[in-house]
Amino acid sequence: MDTKRKLIIIDDDPDYVAGIKSVLETANYSVDVAYNPKDGFKALQSKHYDLLLLDIMMGRGAEGVALARKIRKDAKLRELPVLIITGLREQIAFLFPGQPVHPHFVETDELLEKPVEPKLLLEKVSSLLKLAEAKRS
Amino acid sequence: MDSCVRILKSGAYKISTASNGQQGLDLVNEFKPDLVYVDLKMPGISGIEVIEKIRNTDATIVVIVITGYATVSSAVEAMKNGAYDFLPKPFTPDEFRLITQRGLDKRRLILETIQLRREKEMLREQFAAIVSHELKAPLGAVQQNLYVLVSELTNQLNEDQKSRFERMQTNIGDLIKLILTWLRVLSVDINKIKENFKPTDISTVISKAIESVQPHAMRKDLEIISRISAPLPPVNGDEGTLVETVVNILANAIKYSRPKNEIILKADETESKIVIAISDSGIGISQEDLPFIFNDFFTGKDGQKIEKSSGLGLAITRRIVEAHNGSISVESELGKGSTFLIRLPIIKP
Repeated sequence: MDTKRKLIIIDDDPDYVAGIKSVLETANYSVDVAYNPKDGFKALQSKHYDLLLLDIMMGRGAEGVALARKIRKDAKLRELPVLIITGLREQIAFLFPGQPVHPHFVETDELLEKPVEPKLLLEKVSSLLKLAEAKRS
Repeated sequence: MDSCVRILKSGAYKISTASNGQQGLDLVNEFKPDLVYVDLKMPGISGIEVIEKIRNTDATIVVIVITGYATVSSAVEAMKNGAYDFLPKPFTPDEFRLITQRGLDKRRLILETIQLRREKEMLREQFAAIVSHELKAPLGAVQQNLYVLVSELTNQLNEDQKSRFERMQTNIGDLIKLILTWLRVLSVDINKIKENFKPTDISTVISKAIESVQPHAMRKDLEIISRISAPLPPVNGDEGTLVETVVNILANAIKYSRPKNEIILKADETESKIVIAISDSGIGISQEDLPFIFNDFFTGKDGQKIEKSSGLGLAITRRIVEAHNGSISVESELGKGSTFLIRLPIIKP
């Protein structure tokens, strides 16, 4: 039986994804990828995932935010742990001095800024998975 | 005046008239004309004053002075005050039509120029988006993969290889930082700044700015002397970006000063404005560089010898000051130093 935890990355930059995917696979996770929010949502509906790694700036703007909101409203996906990975904050932080971006835009479990330190990424992923498990039981 | 109206009646103009300066000014506000004829000799407020006030209301309105022969010199004076042209009395209908046409052409040019400038600003913003995606994204991916590779290979790399990886990471990090600075300039969202406007005390702004650059000044043994004619009235602004403005100018003054120099910061109230003057006795700016120093990406030849710069600090500064309805200018002499003047309007009581 396959006991690997299933993760999905939704990010429109294949080169970026390659790096992250490699880290996660080395740590023995099964990793799927979608390169746009539409395909990503389809994948989430058709298959069970334990965690979503989501980019914010995709397509014509902050499409990742829209997707995260959609997921939070979806009865089946509401409990899915979402880890936002973004380079966005450093670009717009000056508009919101001293404020973290995520609570303003989107309800998310965790946010990491690009570039992500591999060790930190693995820590966050494993702690989010444990948290979700604890909630379930 | 009646004869003027008669001459123009045949053309497709909307005409409105006033028989003294004050009436005329009220009419300008209401009627919003493209072109105004002003007689210099009028009862009540003078023609020159009327011109000045029209220019203050809307600088794009074209003003033509109508004057008797005896007052040609005052017509010249009027043109110095912003009138576009003058027509000495008496004049023929053709002369009047001609000057009208020229005035209206001028008005159209002014409006077109403004429109073009606006389009240029919009292009700039789009450029910001392009820079962001096309330049930053691939670099970000390279950076991420470097992180991953280093961690994956960590047991196989020797010290020399590790240090080469580190250098790559540093270089790419610096490059991304530079791109973000560009984005900062190109996308300074003026409206966002304006949302935060509130009465702001300039002496607080100044002391915060000085505090933040003090360590750099001390490293070069420079003294920053501030002379504020207290108390200054508040300006309507955003404290954070105003501090950034003064910091940018002070940081430049420090950068281009010689060790043990003095930097003098003065703040005074003059003519409903606060003027902040920051003077250094550093390397100065050459005459040929002076007109360009507030432009994006401009770096002076002499400055580059001292320290590399992105050529964006002063451009950001200018944009912030302009968002505050203020202005910034510089006086400088090569080898002797520079004085930057920031003017900010105070809140009208």
